Amino acid sequence: MWNTVADIATAVASGRASAASVVEATIARIREYDPLLNSFTDITEQRALMRASALDHARAAGKPLGPLAGVPFAVKNLFDIKGLQTLAGSKINRDLPPAMRDATLVERLEDAGAILMGALNMGEYAYDFTGENIHYGASHNPHDLERMTGGSSGGSGAAVAGGLVPLALGSDTNGSIRVPASLCGLFGLKATYGRLSRARTFPFVASLDHVGPLARSARDLALAYDAMQGHDPNDPVSGERSVEPVTPLLERGDEGLRVAVAGGYFKCRTAETVSAMDRVAAALGANRDIELPRPDRARSAAFVITAAEGGALHLDRLRTRARDYDPAVRDRLMAGAMTPASFVVKAQKLRRWYRTEVLKLFDGVDAILAPATPCTAPLSGQQMFMLDGVELPVRANLGIYTQPISFIGLPVVAVPVPLEPLPIGIQIIAAPWREDVALRLAHALETKGIVGATQPAL
Amino acid sequence: MKRKAARKAKAATAKKRGGKSKVVVAKKPRKPQAPVAAKTADAIDGLVAASAQALGLTIEPAWRGGVKFNLQLILRIGALVDEFPLPDDAEPAPVFDA
Repeated sequence: MWNTVADIATAVASGRASAASVVEATIARIREYDPLLNSFTDITEQRALMRASALDHARAAGKPLGPLAGVPFAVKNLFDIKGLQTLAGSKINRDLPPAMRDATLVERLEDAGAILMGALNMGEYAYDFTGENIHYGASHNPHDLERMTGGSSGGSGAAVAGGLVPLALGSDTNGSIRVPASLCGLFGLKATYGRLSRARTFPFVASLDHVGPLARSARDLALAYDAMQGHDPNDPVSGERSVEPVTPLLERGDEGLRVAVAGGYFKCRTAETVSAMDRVAAALGANRDIELPRPDRARSAAFVITAAEGGALHLDRLRTRARDYDPAVRDRLMAGAMTPASFVVKAQKLRRWYRTEVLKLFDGVDAILAPATPCTAPLSGQQMFMLDGVELPVRANLGIYTQPISFIGLPVVAVPVPLEPLPIGIQIIAAPWREDVALRLAHALETKGIVGATQPAL
Repeated sequence: MKRKAARKAKAATAKKRGGKSKVVVAKKPRKPQAPVAAKTADAIDGLVAASAQALGLTIEPAWRGGVKFNLQLILRIGALVDEFPLPDDAEPAPVFDA
């Protein structure tokens, strides 16, 4: 069950495997291993079997199948799935009516032939970097079940790294795709802000919310990404971009691309980040450092916007259902609702300034490398970790390297460096709308054997 | 060093905007005022209580410590945003299309 998206789609399209057999094997795998991983909150078994049957009939009738034919996937439970409550990791949302229609990205993946297997665990309302959840339990890291998956797309990380599905969707407001990708040893894509539709997903911070895929190879990310691209009028921030397929460009690899390493704030300061960055930078000929302008201020502004928009989003529920939140999330959201308005406006002004300054850097380079997390997966429940000889809180600091990048919506591929005993991710950051650059570099690194998703022994 | 970088940033923004540098020059980077976070714990308690009242939030006694901690964090981190000098004509990031 370590087959890639590309393997499965090829096998189903050629008739070497039926979609039904793929789905049955996937269900069996979920039933056997999810009790260890706690990654699924709903398994859409009947829907998946019906979908598989329809695909097999279509193939028998000689109809063309899509590029993701028979590929099982699952989605963080903030994506609408018709007939299910969109939990967003919460207890409160169990009282919502079932969704009337799938999220746009679920529809687009299924239009390409993929098969939805269910909904995945996540940190409550996505305000989380650990993958822990007081209502549904923590998702567990397949590389070491005692360790965090990272979050908030923790179930997405566990399900893909545990070999339950080859593809999952997550969301990333401040790092929630890239952090679990790093801790679980996966490839994760946070596309440009506005590139992938958020329609019919439960929001967190409208200014910063992104959605995207996690997978076990760069090609799989590209295949899923290509199937999901395209303007969607149902998401007000969806960019009016035409579809720009990346999969056909992957074989160009790193040829002609100029890569630098982010210095200063992003300088690797732990043994594992240094080791991972050395390998990646050497393989891409990235032998110079580049300084982003005031990433510390960018992170602060992202923090303020997150607190304020999160607090405002939840204000009514905080008035009426405060006892039903995870206490830690409730306290953050209540305080967020009290954020001075002037700080929020200034943070949004700082965001535009920072964007202007960072974009200048892309005149001289095509991509910038930065660590995805400061450490490999901490133990579940671990509160503190060491950075530069200073003890820091885990929860707040897992996102130190991701937050200043998503703040201005740059596309990023997190690539897994298979260190022993645990993997860690490096961010490949490109200019807006240049997902092709980040995915080409990720594919080149994979081809060179520098990065890759290793199969854990469960 | 921080101020130098910020001034440089401001100049860059002004240059890009063209013709509006007068406003920028007129506004010197200010020394940050002591934010609320730097004041006494009692002041934060008062702020939490007043904000909760204004927003219609009920904060049970057991939650007060957590809310206070998080509000102090927001004010401390927000001060880093607040003190960062930007010109009066700096536009916020979101743009509304009518």
